[in-house]
Amino acid sequence: MIAEKTRRHENVGAGNWKGWGMWAWILHRVSGLALVLYLFMHISVIAASSRGGADENIFETFEKSIFVVLDLLLTAAVVFHGLNGLRILLFDLGIGTYRHKSLFYGVMAATAVVLAVFAYASFYYISNGEGPW
Amino acid sequence: MRQEVLRKGEGGVWPWFLQRITAVLLLYGLTVHLVVLHVLNIGRLTFDNIGDRLGSGFFIFTDFLLLFAVVFHGLNGVRMVLLDYGFQGSKRTALDAALVVIGVAAIAYGIWAFWPWLTD
Repeated sequence: MIAEKTRRHENVGAGNWKGWGMWAWILHRVSGLALVLYLFMHISVIAASSRGGADENIFETFEKSIFVVLDLLLTAAVVFHGLNGLRILLFDLGIGTYRHKSLFYGVMAATAVVLAVFAYASFYYISNGEGPW
Repeated sequence: MRQEVLRKGEGGVWPWFLQRITAVLLLYGLTVHLVVLHVLNIGRLTFDNIGDRLGSGFFIFTDFLLLFAVVFHGLNGVRMVLLDYGFQGSKRTALDAALVVIGVAAIAYGIWAFWPWLTD
């Protein structure tokens, strides 16, 4: 039923159920599943705002502080998943497999930097009622 | 070097390849989406200015690209996860069919949600 073939390959860390590679894999999967759930909520909220008549309250609702903070969590998931996905794409091209750990640190650092920009804009918005720019 | 068994049940080369293609499209689309909507225009979203943005071909193109790419990428990702948890054989066929139905419905729903802005 299932065609099988074997190949020899250099297995750098794959199947090694410990260490950073495992955490990168788990975080990628968990953030991915969370983003899929968010995606369907997102489409239905867009539908509600465009098809729900002239009700502008939906925009005000999502400007409440609690939602701005939740958005930061969402941003963390998107940015991590995107940058770690870039890391996976590099591995597929045969780039950096031997530096997968350093690349993971790089992904985490870059995520932190991007998130800092979003956090600055968000908390500025929460305290001033408008964006910093 | 070590041996690895490749099974067709692993998912197939096209889902793998399209996951990579949509990943690159999403890196572009989500960067535009997050920077334009949630950094530059933070707290300024209204029905009207969304309509203004969707008057431009650039945003229509980017948003539709996002819709198609993200629905495929998300559901294909769910498929990858479920194939790891025993969805093989006839279950896998049913899973694939269900995901196609959900995907087409989600894209149709998304276009329906966009439409009032496009025809405004």
